[in-house]
Amino acid sequence: MQDTLAGLSFVLPAVVVLFTFLILPLLVAFYFSFTDWSGTRPLDQPDAYEMVGFENYQRWIIDGRRVDDFYRSVRNTLYYVAGVVPIQTALALVLAVIVNQRWLKGKAFFRTAFYFPSITSSIVVSFIFLFLFSGGGPINLLLKAVFPSFEPVSWTTNNDGLVHLLLNVFGVNGRTVGPWAETEILGLEIWEWISGPSVAMFTIMCLAIWTTTGTLMVIYLSALQNIPSSVYEAAEVDGATGLQAFRHITLPLLRPTTFFVVTLGLIGTFQVFDQIYVLQNDQTARTTTSVAYLVYATAFEGTSPSLAEASAIAIVLFIIIFVATLIQRRFVGGDQAET
Amino acid sequence: MKVNFRLTAMMLVMALLLLAVSATTAQGTVLRVWTGASSPVENEFKEAQIAAFREAYPDVTVELLVSPDYGTQIRGAFASGDYPEVFTVGQFDFPQWQADGLLAVGTEAIETPDDIYPGLRAAFTADGELYCAPKDFSTLGLLYNIDLFDAAGLEYPSADWTWEDMSAAATALTTGDVVGFSAAADKFRWMAFFYGNGATLFDEAGEVAFDSPAGIEALTFYQSFIANGSGKMPGDLDSGWNGEAFGKGAAAMTIEGNWAIGYLNDTFPDINWGVAELPLSPAGTRGTLTFTECWAVSARAEGDLAEAAWNMVNFLTGTGDFGAKGVAEAGFGVMPARAQFSELWLTTVGEEYAAYVAGAAYAVAPIFPLGFADFDAAVNDGTTLAMTLEEDPADVMTEAADVAREILADMQ
Repeated sequence: MQDTLAGLSFVLPAVVVLFTFLILPLLVAFYFSFTDWSGTRPLDQPDAYEMVGFENYQRWIIDGRRVDDFYRSVRNTLYYVAGVVPIQTALALVLAVIVNQRWLKGKAFFRTAFYFPSITSSIVVSFIFLFLFSGGGPINLLLKAVFPSFEPVSWTTNNDGLVHLLLNVFGVNGRTVGPWAETEILGLEIWEWISGPSVAMFTIMCLAIWTTTGTLMVIYLSALQNIPSSVYEAAEVDGATGLQAFRHITLPLLRPTTFFVVTLGLIGTFQVFDQIYVLQNDQTARTTTSVAYLVYATAFEGTSPSLAEASAIAIVLFIIIFVATLIQRRFVGGDQAET
Repeated sequence: MKVNFRLTAMMLVMALLLLAVSATTAQGTVLRVWTGASSPVENEFKEAQIAAFREAYPDVTVELLVSPDYGTQIRGAFASGDYPEVFTVGQFDFPQWQADGLLAVGTEAIETPDDIYPGLRAAFTADGELYCAPKDFSTLGLLYNIDLFDAAGLEYPSADWTWEDMSAAATALTTGDVVGFSAAADKFRWMAFFYGNGATLFDEAGEVAFDSPAGIEALTFYQSFIANGSGKMPGDLDSGWNGEAFGKGAAAMTIEGNWAIGYLNDTFPDINWGVAELPLSPAGTRGTLTFTECWAVSARAEGDLAEAAWNMVNFLTGTGDFGAKGVAEAGFGVMPARAQFSELWLTTVGEEYAAYVAGAAYAVAPIFPLGFADFDAAVNDGTTLAMTLEEDPADVMTEAADVAREILADMQ
């Protein structure tokens, strides 16, 4: 009894903090997503809000007027996640393995160099990227120097989807593809769904990969250093090559770490906001707005902002992330992830 | 058992400490005044205004908050119901905040409202009542690069310039690296032509008139610069906004507000530029947009507190030395909301910016009414689609207008 009480009192502070700042806001957002609260009407007023049932969800997610805006942002976010998570994970692993090699000189330099983008303010980094990818910026100049026939691309303002551009090379475009592509699913035509990330979104993805890889690399690095060298020595005795050792020892032993890194990556990318906020402009709003950005815009921008509608979108985003994490747990996680 | 008791006691004390609210025992009337932070010059001016108020009204204690994150902070205060007595309201926030019952009516309390520009009064009027006092404002003007005009042998935009003259000039000015016109894909630029051509969001009967022929003509005109290559969007000129593209000399003309004065003179001191009123539409009329902010009093302030709050608002926006006159004398870009001080403002900043003042007479605050968020979003979307040449201007405007009609039908 006494132990239970003491134990409870020890976890109490953490529970209180978690409840107040994590669970409670979630519940409150869930509650307000069923109201018509503007976000500014004082809650102590009797007419602060009314319950409207599923109206907000209806409007944004089922078949209301904003369904196309919502699913367009979902499409943008999905392409963003699908592009960023695998590349940043693979890159982080490769960098960690390289930095972990005994023969490498100047390890401290490389570790710092790779980690540096992660600790720099994302706003500052975004502006540097704007400069790098501008019309007359270094990226275009470099490409021009390597491929003299290269035409400068306006990376940050181009709305063309990468898949569309690729198909266009083979002569397939919106006009020649056939009527099936005009079928509307969830507010968007199939042709719009398969656009791929736009060039502008691709630029933002490069930025995200560049900034987060460093953090993930550090996580991989610490996991790599936890693998006992005796395992590798045994493999060497058995005649395994370096590549075999990597494939059959390093990768399986890193599986829990990979699970962790991918989960972090998924949650982070589904919630992408600040890079979009800085790099988006009027021209690219349609192909770069993420779901998290849509939540912000709905809550705070325009003449009739609505915190209730923003809450509804946020709840759906939460469900999407939750489901995505469960799915990837099946693929990456398995039993070993639970240790 | 003893350990447990001590632990419990300790936690109780901590909980009490956490709960303890520092009860402020302020003397007399305490006015909380909140506003957003802007440029350092303007922040200094606001603080000087408040300092002068403290001297003039020694009985009133003023707690000033100049917040860099004003929008979020004041929304939190509104939601809790415990919000400041005096605060600033942007024109786009006004309809919602007024409908939420946050603002006190100022028709009786605001000093000589007739002197305030009608376009500004309209922005802060609801149900025939003026709610708050505009503190300053901006209008849009046509910026032109004098050197590029000279090089092309063109005459500068004049008072009798028409849309056609502007198109012709833009084409003549487009050479090599320079385009004639920097046109942001922003509804708050082309809608200056929209209102200038006599179009309105709703007609007098309250029906949606957004896709009227005059309205479509305006977007078609604005988009024609992109379509015929005599204009580009700032992003395609390696710029974040029109002002940057214009300052770099990548565009010979653009449409921006008086906030561009300080920016261009500080960031691009070498550029030789002028500003004219927007050209005359085919209907022979002119329009521009205005952007403004006002000082409002809380609907919850009563008695002495309300009186002190309105004194403060009139002090900050009235005809006294630290009101509109102060804004005119400070001359940091925004214009005084009262017509009688416009000349004074021009004396401070320079007569060459007279076009901005001239626009005030016919400027419209482009506010979408409450409940029309979907219409607003559809116009944004349509503007982008038209400007990226993905869709026809007439189609996007009809689509947006249909959204507005649907909303109107739902409301009835």
